[in-house]
Parts: sequence; structure tokens; C-alpha cells
Amino acid sequence: MPAVQETVEQVRQIDVDQYKYGFETEIEVDKAPKGLSEDIIRFISEKKQEPEWMLEWRLEAYRRWLTLEEPTWARVSYPKIDFNDIYYYAAPKSTAGPKSLDEVDPELLKVYEKLGIPLREQEILAGVEKSKIAVDAVFDSVSVVTTFKEELKKAGVIFMSISEAIREHPDLVKQYLGSVVPTTDNYYATLNSAVFTDGSFVYVPKGVRCPMELSTYFRINEKNTGQFERTLIIAAEGAFVSYLEGCTAPQRDENQLHAAVVELVALDDAEIKYSTVQNWYPGDKQGKGGIYNFVTKRGDCRGANSKISWTQVETGSAITWKYPSCILRGDNSRGEFYSIAVSNGHQQIDSGTKMIHLGKNTSSRIISKGISAGVSNNTYRGQVSMHRKAENARNFTNCDSLLIGDTCGAHTVPYIEVKNSTAKVEHEATTSKISEDQKFYAMQRGIPEEEAIALIVNGFVREVIQELPMEFAVEAQKLINISLEGSVG
Amino acid sequence: MNIQTTNRLTTAESALLDAYNAQIGDLPGDGAVLSVRDRLLDELKTGGLPTRRIESWHYTDLRALLRAVPAVQPAPSLSAVKPLVSGASVLTLRQGAADAATAPEGVTVRRYADSLVDGTAAEGLREASADDAIGRINGSFVRDGLVLEIADGAELAAPLEIQSLHGAGQVHTRFPVRFGAGSKATVIERHRGEGDEAALVSSISALTLGDGAEVTWIVLQEQGAADTHLGQIRVELGADAKLRLFVVNAGGKLVRQELRITVSGEGSELTLRGVNLLGGDTHTDVTLVLDHNVPHTNSTEIIRNVIFDRARGVFQGMIRVAQAAQKTDAKMACNTLLLSDDADFSVKPELEIFADDVLCGHGATVADIDRNHMYYMMTRGVPEKTARAMLVYAFVAQIVEELEEESLVEALEGIISAWLDRHA
Repeated sequence: MPAVQETVEQVRQIDVDQYKYGFETEIEVDKAPKGLSEDIIRFISEKKQEPEWMLEWRLEAYRRWLTLEEPTWARVSYPKIDFNDIYYYAAPKSTAGPKSLDEVDPELLKVYEKLGIPLREQEILAGVEKSKIAVDAVFDSVSVVTTFKEELKKAGVIFMSISEAIREHPDLVKQYLGSVVPTTDNYYATLNSAVFTDGSFVYVPKGVRCPMELSTYFRINEKNTGQFERTLIIAAEGAFVSYLEGCTAPQRDENQLHAAVVELVALDDAEIKYSTVQNWYPGDKQGKGGIYNFVTKRGDCRGANSKISWTQVETGSAITWKYPSCILRGDNSRGEFYSIAVSNGHQQIDSGTKMIHLGKNTSSRIISKGISAGVSNNTYRGQVSMHRKAENARNFTNCDSLLIGDTCGAHTVPYIEVKNSTAKVEHEATTSKISEDQKFYAMQRGIPEEEAIALIVNGFVREVIQELPMEFAVEAQKLINISLEGSVG
Repeated sequence: MNIQTTNRLTTAESALLDAYNAQIGDLPGDGAVLSVRDRLLDELKTGGLPTRRIESWHYTDLRALLRAVPAVQPAPSLSAVKPLVSGASVLTLRQGAADAATAPEGVTVRRYADSLVDGTAAEGLREASADDAIGRINGSFVRDGLVLEIADGAELAAPLEIQSLHGAGQVHTRFPVRFGAGSKATVIERHRGEGDEAALVSSISALTLGDGAEVTWIVLQEQGAADTHLGQIRVELGADAKLRLFVVNAGGKLVRQELRITVSGEGSELTLRGVNLLGGDTHTDVTLVLDHNVPHTNSTEIIRNVIFDRARGVFQGMIRVAQAAQKTDAKMACNTLLLSDDADFSVKPELEIFADDVLCGHGATVADIDRNHMYYMMTRGVPEKTARAMLVYAFVAQIVEELEEESLVEALEGIISAWLDRHA
């Protein structure tokens, strides 16, 4: 059993609160003054050299945000956030638009090296077996570098930071930005609309199959900053793109806010596959510190026969509040959601999905696996809504929770709303612990207890891991084992 | 999302306040009871009727749905209906007031009005939780009902049938029932509205099952087409107690049935079965909150819904398992046949689990009749309409058959087929 052995070794090596990516880097930064006001928004907009309409868009969102109240319905608790005690803009000084990697601060490059993120194109090319992955690296508030831009350009794919896109492709941005998650959507999305600093922009033109995996790597480094990224992915008619995001942050005692918005648009026959491996700093054993991950992610299957699939592996963050959703507007469109949410220590997760069926023959599938350990709380909250005109719509939902130890909680809160008699909805959920029978079966075949548990947990999440691109599947599996360390056995 | 809730009262809210003011001095109760009543009404006045912003009322916005409240009216002449099972002992209430009754052996019956007057009802009159709007309405207005005591070890030979009959107006009843240790009983709680004019009914049954008691409790709701029915069953299960709770909804315009069940005795077992027959332009909500608080308890819940016309159905089922409640086995299923494009159904089966050594699961389905089933029937020469009717009937009858007592099964099946004949 070499694979299992490897897993167990991995678990042994790393203690639960030895967060691997918790280092901090001394980098000279350019910061906006602390706090939030119209002036700060003007400052951000000016830094980004944005056109007037973008500033107006931000200000409108800000004014709206002032009238909103923080949502309290999620099963998470945290002290009140002081939105005026956050830096809304922090950028490494040396990155004023580097043309090539050679101009990027070597300190920064070291960070990514340490994180294992390939930024040098040739390095990736040198690896014979590795497939190519284009990376957009976002460091605090700005995108430091985007790789493989030229090669992607040849295929017609636009992949750049959103700040660049606002300058270079204003028409595309104007047409799609806020069309899936409007500025008025919810408290954090509205805040993000006002102050977002960077993120990725992807446009895959008609009929193009994106030649490589695209990925964005988010890193929070600076103290007391919030990261507000905005990602917009558009797949035109018949296009296909697979996109992956990853995230880490230094280990600190204070909580840091991360409020992102991701918008996906799939036109006729297009397909977008969006995978997340979320590994923000989860806080220490006592529940001190960690990232508040309050994210709005939504995909719009705008065209007929389009497909959007979300895959997420959530192991980090002190608090996660995140519901990647699909609006199935086009006839025959399909939405998928595969999730593994692992909570340990004092982590709190309230996550799930929404599948809004508007078009005929739309279908959706939800597979959610929650694992709770320590004194954490892990909630699946999902909605499946079949509207009047969603003839022959189909949904299948399966959410399973696994409890490890008796001090954690696992909760399931699905909302199912059906307004069409030809629609068919199936939902099932279970909560249990690793059964003695399963363990016994493995152990009486000579597998030690710890390995047996790892084996069963891996089996439990396999359905979701399979949906991830190959390279990340391995990483995700390791991550899960690491975050469960100290809770099994 | 942040609309300020105004304090302006809706027509129904003002009508409730007016009705209370008009009855001051007339509502039964000693000082303790009256002060609970005053507080409940005051909370109703300041909080208003619940809206969809209150999570447990998300799909039943009572403030919007309850358009008017009928005035309090005297009882019309109401004649007792034939009991569901022949030989049953019948206890009748007319327009919310209990008839003088003789109790069968092993049972003590007392008018709830008397316990209001002597103050023994004060404790139980309080709301069950912060979102307990039914408890507030009922607690403010309740005039009568029945207090039943089933003696330890008593085994009732025949079922006991409580008939709450009424015409238009307001009816608020309460039924605190105590089943002694080791007792065995079958009780039918039947609500029936006569005439086409609207009635507002609120009714709370509070069941306490002593250790080892075995009880079958059937709620049969057959309200009139214009009636609002706000029902609540509170249950406390003792050690090794077994409760079979059957809820049949086959009437009413606006219905909310709340089941608040606390499993607080080890080795106890709950079997909940629900049949909801919805048609016309109606709204029916069944909300279950089930707390497993101790180790080694079982529960199974199956709810079947059949929805025609423009009806709207809701099922919310929350199972909570406390940290101490290891070895809990809880299973819930909610199956719905949505038979019209104008109908809709919302379901929210929740699990809230704090113990690790448990087996909990829920399933929910919403669909039309399976085409393969139809095909099977039709290839055997059964006409489409008949095939449909047979399949719908079988879908709900399957649940009723679990009751085993033949006479009860037959009676309930009769009620279901009669309802389906009227609506299908």
C-alpha cells in the first residue's frame, strides 16, 4: 500500500497547526491609508488607472454598501469586523507593471518558489511529464505576473489580471462585470464591488478550447489588509476552459478578511470547469487568527447546452462563507458542484451551492462531502430551485457528513423549491462516523488503524477528488490528510 | 434585503389585538394565567406575525398570508360526527368549548378551562421558543380544551377520539395529555370545520409519555375550505416510550402544523408519518423540530405529499442530535407528487448533529408520477385516468397501512379516497 503509506507519512510529518504556508515575507509595499471611504476608493481606482465609468461603478456600490447590514443567517460566529481597521490596498512597490519575470522583485519570486507555484515558463517546460499551466499570481492587492500570456494569445484566449483587462478590454469588462453578481447582490459582494483590487480575467473566444489549464494563485502577505479579488471568466459559444485557484496566507494572530467575487459566464455550448483548493491560514489550535473567507461565486449558464462545474476542496480559513452557484438559464444547460469541506480545530464552515433552474431540460448534480473534527462546525447549506418554466429539469443532491470525535458538529440545511410538475428532484444526506465495521474489515486484513482511517476518508471523498485536474487531485488529497492530522486514530 | 420592518399592523394583526381587548375580563384564567396571556399578546403586538425573515417561517409568511381574522362568533348547531373507529370513546368540543364528558376506564378527563381558572395551566401556557407564534396566539386566546390523564399501566381497550367541531369564527383549544408509565393508548385528534365561512383555529396538544408508554396519536385535520388552522403538537418522550404519530392534512385554506418533539428518555422510539393532501388554492406547512437529547433513541419520519391545482406545500424537518445523544438512529424521508404546474412545493430537511456515533440521514424527492409506472398500468389495459388515480392513492395509502389496526387503516383510507375523488 505505498499510496496509503505515503498519506500516513505525510500526516505524521506535519502537526495540525504547523501550517505549511504560514511564513511572512518582508517586501516593501505601497499601501493606501487604513479605512474605507470614497477617497480610498478613488485612490484605488487611480492607482489602477481606471476609466471614469469604473470609478462610478465602484462608488455606486460603496454607497449601496453603506445602507446594508451584515448578514447573520449563516451558522458562523465571529466578533464584529471593523471595516475601518483594514488596509484596502497594499501592493509590492516593485511591481509597477513588470514586463517580464526578470523585472519582478526576486523576493517575490522566492515566495512563489517556496509555495511551489511555477512562475517561470521554461521551468515548467523543462519538466517533461508535467502539463502546462498558465498562472496569474495575485499578491495582496495586485497581480504580480501572468505566465504564458503570449502562447494563450495565439489561441485567442485573453488571460490577464482584471486591472489590465479594464484598461485593455473595457468593452468586454463593461459588458460582463456585475452581470452575474450584481453590485447590489449581498453585503460582501457589494463591498467587493467597491474596493476590489485585482483578480483574473479570462475570455475564451468562440469555438476555442483553451490549450492549457489556467490558474490564479492568491497570496495575502501584508498585515491588516483585506484581500478583495474579482475574477471574471467568459466562455463564448462552444468554448472550453478549465481554471484553478489556490490560496494561502501567513500565520498570524489577527483575523484577516478575504471577500472575493467570482463571476462565470458560459454562452451557447460553452463549458467552464472551475476548481478551488482553498488553504488560507485556518488559525491555531486555540482558534486564534485565521482568514475570514466570505466569498460570492456564481456561474451563469446563459447559453443553451452550456455547462458550469464547480469543484472545491476547502481545508483552510477560520471561517468560510461560500456558496458557488449556477444559474441554469439556457435550455439543456448543466450545473455541477463537487465539494469537500474539511474543518478541524476551531474552524467554521458554512458552505454549499445554489442551483437555480430557469430553462427547459436543465440538470444539476451536487455532491458534497463534509468532514468535521476537533471543535469545528461544518454546515452544508444549499438551495435547489425549479422555476415554473424549468420543464423536465433534474437535480440530484447527495451530501454526506463524517464526524471525527464528539466535540464537533455537522449540519445540513438544504432548501428545495419546486414549481414545475415535470421537474424531478432527489436529495439525500447522511451523517455518520467511520463505522466500526469498515474499520474492522480493513484492520483484520492487516492494515493498521491509522492507515485504515486514512483509507476510509480517502474513499469518502474520492468522488469529488476525481473531478479535480490530475496534478491538483494529488495535492488536495495530501491537504485533506494534513488538515485532519491529530484528529484520527 | 434590508427593508425596515415597519410597526404598522396588518389587518389581521389589528383584528387579533381588538379581539383580545374585546375579551378582557371574559377570558378564563387566574392572575398567573392572565399575566402570561398579557405578555404573549404584548409580544405578538410588538413582534407582529412572523414573516419569511424568521427562518422557521421562511416558506409560510404568516404576516402576508393571514389576510383577515374572523370575529369571535357563538357556536352554530353542530352535531357530533361518527367516530373514525366504531366503539371509540368520543370527547366532543363545539366551537372550542368542551362538552361534559364521561371518561373511559383508566382515563381522567378535565376541562382545560378549569385549569385556566385555578391557574394550574399557567406553566404550560408559555411559548415553546422565540419563534413560537402559534404558542403566542393560542396562549393569548385559548378558552378551553381537555386535560387528559392516562393512568400508569392502563391499557385502553378502544381508541379515544377528540372531536373539535366548529363553524365560522375563532376556535382556540389546548390538550395537555399525560400518558402514565407503561400505559397503552390510541388517540385520535380530529379537527373539523363546517360551512363555507372562515374560521381561525389554533390548537396545541402537549403530550407527555411516561416511561414505557406506547401511544398512537392520530391528527386528522379536515377543516373547511376557508379555514386557517394553526396546529401544534408538543411531545416529550420518556425512557423506552414508543410514540406513533400520524398527521393527516386533508382540508383548510392556510394550514401550519408544527411538531415539536423532544426525545428525552433513553431507549425511546418515535415513528412519525404524515400524509398531506393539498388541492385548490391553499397553503399547507408541516414543520418538525425533533430533538434527540439522550443516547440510544430511534426515530423515523416519512412524509408523503400529493399536490393538485394551485396548492402550495411546505415541509421543514429539523433533526437535532445533542452531543450526549450517542447511538441515535434518525431517518427522515419526504416524498412529494407534484401533479400540477401551478402547484409548488418547498422542502427543507435539516440535520444538526453534535454527536459522532450516530446514523442520521434524510431524503427528499419531488416529482410527477413515474412514466414507467403509468406505462406498466396502461399496457395492462387500465385507462390513463384510472391508472393515475390508483398510483396516487397507492403512494399515500402505503403509509397509512403501516398503522396495522385494520379498522383505523380502513377509515383513513376511506377519507383519503374520498378526498382524491373530489380533487383528482
